[in-house]
Amino acid sequence: MSVAADITRAQRQAASFGVSSVLLGLCFAAACAAPFVLNGYGLYVLTLTGVFALVALGLNLLTGYAGQISLCHAAFFGVGAYATAILTQKVGLPYLLSILVGGLLTACIGAVVAVPAMRLKSLYLAIATLGFGVVLQKIIFEWRSLTNGGGGLALSPPAIAGYELGATGLYYLTLALVTLGIWGAWNVSRGRTGRALLIIKESEIAAGALGIPAARYKVIAFAISAFYAAVAGGLFAYLVRYIHPENFSVGLSIAFLSMVVIGGLGTIGGSIVGAAFYVIVPELLRGIKDAPGLVFGLLLVIVMVLMPQGLWGLVRRLGRRA
Amino acid sequence: MARLSVENVSVDFGGIHALRDVSFELESGAIVGLIGPNGAGKSTLLNCVSGITRPTRGQVRLDDAVLSALPPATVAGCGIGRVFQHPELVVDLPVRENLLIACHRSLGYGLVSELLKLPNVWAAERAAARRVDHVLERLGLSDSAELAIRNLPYGHRKLVDLGRALLMEIRFLLLDEPIAGLNDAEVAKLRDLLLRLRQELGLGILVVEHNMPFVSGLCDRLVVLDLGRLIANGPPVDVLRDPKVMASYLGEDA
Amino acid sequence: MIANLIVGGLAAGCLYAMVGIAIVIVLNITDIANFAQGEMAMVTTFFAYWLLDSVGLTWWQAVPIAVLFGLVQGIVIQQVVIRPLIGSPVLSAIIATLGLNIVLNSVAGLIWGHQTYTFPSPFAFSPPFMIGTVPVSVDSVVNIAAGLAIVIAMTWFLRFTWIGLGLRAASQNPTVARMMGVSISRTSAIAWGLGGLVGGISGILVAPSLFLDTNLMGALLIKAFAGGVLGGLNSLIGVFLGCLALGVAENLVGAYLSPAFGEAITFIIIIAVLIVRPEGIFGRVKARKV
Repeated sequence: MSVAADITRAQRQAASFGVSSVLLGLCFAAACAAPFVLNGYGLYVLTLTGVFALVALGLNLLTGYAGQISLCHAAFFGVGAYATAILTQKVGLPYLLSILVGGLLTACIGAVVAVPAMRLKSLYLAIATLGFGVVLQKIIFEWRSLTNGGGGLALSPPAIAGYELGATGLYYLTLALVTLGIWGAWNVSRGRTGRALLIIKESEIAAGALGIPAARYKVIAFAISAFYAAVAGGLFAYLVRYIHPENFSVGLSIAFLSMVVIGGLGTIGGSIVGAAFYVIVPELLRGIKDAPGLVFGLLLVIVMVLMPQGLWGLVRRLGRRA
Repeated sequence: MARLSVENVSVDFGGIHALRDVSFELESGAIVGLIGPNGAGKSTLLNCVSGITRPTRGQVRLDDAVLSALPPATVAGCGIGRVFQHPELVVDLPVRENLLIACHRSLGYGLVSELLKLPNVWAAERAAARRVDHVLERLGLSDSAELAIRNLPYGHRKLVDLGRALLMEIRFLLLDEPIAGLNDAEVAKLRDLLLRLRQELGLGILVVEHNMPFVSGLCDRLVVLDLGRLIANGPPVDVLRDPKVMASYLGEDA
Repeated sequence: MIANLIVGGLAAGCLYAMVGIAIVIVLNITDIANFAQGEMAMVTTFFAYWLLDSVGLTWWQAVPIAVLFGLVQGIVIQQVVIRPLIGSPVLSAIIATLGLNIVLNSVAGLIWGHQTYTFPSPFAFSPPFMIGTVPVSVDSVVNIAAGLAIVIAMTWFLRFTWIGLGLRAASQNPTVARMMGVSISRTSAIAWGLGGLVGGISGILVAPSLFLDTNLMGALLIKAFAGGVLGGLNSLIGVFLGCLALGVAENLVGAYLSPAFGEAITFIIIIAVLIVRPEGIFGRVKARKV
């Protein structure tokens, strides 16, 4: 790409901002109208997409910006799910508060897992998170008194301020949280933390020379992504109303990673697109058990080798030519 | 006036003695050149000052504070800027964004403020943007502000790297082979820029370089390392005539 | 009783170690952690099963062919997936291996389904050796012997053969190695081939006791990494001893504390090592040139 192309791109970006705002507004309006248009199953799929989008937004900060690999985000998802369920059903906290507490608790656990590994190469974080993901699934399974172990937990519908949340209510809650999540991620990406993560990904030594403590910021990114995953887990638990340790395996963690990568690492649009992709493909390939895995795995490799910008990058390139 | 002191610094890597008992000082407003043949330990010394390498013995001090036990990010926060041999910039971002990264410490807002984009964040970002514009002007890069790094010629990338250090409100600047890869015009520009920075900001500058005309024209003093030892420390005119220095560069039978 | 646990732990540890050695060879020579190592081994083992079951070969005929398959599999993967990524950040290669992990798992599932198969071992019906009063199954002895043999063979190969020297040179300084005539792409292919070969051996040896299905190697992978972290990821001896130690620790902790704790010990060891001595017991700190 040439210098002239850079400058015209900057000018066009300024102009297209108006267009994207309108598009965004339309998307949001469409999202708000969805329950009136879709049937129960369609609404479920859309809510599930929102849940995974929330995971993806957080994971994108860790992998897309800070360049770190986590193989235990399914575990954080699970901790959030179980924590929210237990706090709501056994302790009696209001649903929203349970989600928040579950999120903060998981963020702390994330920080504890990450701190030993953060001064080292990203490989060590991947290994530590792989170990943690396996162990956490075991803990959920064994701690029968708290989690009912392999029997799973059946959940009654949640309530906010006394009003029971049906499918529509849960959908709007998810939409609200995803919107908040996007806004927060957008702010961080435009703020000093987002920029710090980018230089950390490029070179931790350069980051240090700029006064940015790399290890600390990697832990921060990790904790934020764990928080997002846990909140998503709290929504997920009450969407499916039955959670089981088998749900939260290392395979799901790799699936989360494939969401952000295939969608487009380092972009918010990529997180949303990746989540949608992740929900839709198994629906399309229903019946053939291993087909979705094959598709995701292949795409993961293909994206890394051929199109690092992911699906979102493809969409943007097409949009630019339009 | 601040003073950066390297005091009896020795660095051992396993069996290799990269630095042996090196001592010298850098005051604000002084430009000191660090020269010596390859493998002399110049980059290791810079790394000790930056906090990347911890001295096996000895210490680095900024006035009374001991720097050598501190992590690199803290050392940078004390006002020690570093420009590396190969600029490590975020290639997909434009020049302006890369420079904004350097404003990290001065922006100072907390994570919660950042997540919620509170008013103090808006104000801090605007102030940082103004400082970045100022540095862009000083370096003559204002026209390139929106260009992505990948489209920037090498000489300009090195300037951006320098710009990052300047944005950190530094008192001392460490430069590792700043003119490698630059043409004559760019070298002259850099030399003038460094002299102006010394004059206007009172920076103390430590330059590692191989190019003798450049260092003798720029520096007040030269420090010479050979095989980890400091063998000369004085004005360029004296140092370059020192027989020990000539022997280290040309070999013993000179 | 405790002797039983230790011997059992050593045998299990050797199985982890073989996966670990495969990982460490590839990691040290190409700087890429192959998170698909386990699945590659699983596919090789399924191939061996096919040779035994459908083609009707004996164990001693099928295994060398399957091991060769493992070697070829490693090279093919390196050429198709890894070589295009030379020069990209390490993150990309790790993600690619994770994708490979899913692909191999899915392909195996599509071809062989999700039932569990019994994989034969020629030593299943041999009477156990007796060390004093402790019976040691022949399988265990074979695993330990295989583990030792592989460590010795690989160490000898890397230290005393031309190809091995080339591999080590390429990993330490690719630029200079290239100038000396070492082909980086070829060393990378050899490294991945060796990884596939050793991994295949581990799968074939572990299948009789753990039963063959698509999840065979999943748990082993994390233990191999844990043992590697404990012993030192840049040392063949380190990963071997680390995995042995892990196997023994698992058995002892599992028997004397609780089985759940035995599993958790893997993770606890990883974190403890990362805090106290990140390069592992036998590892060396790699200095970075700035």
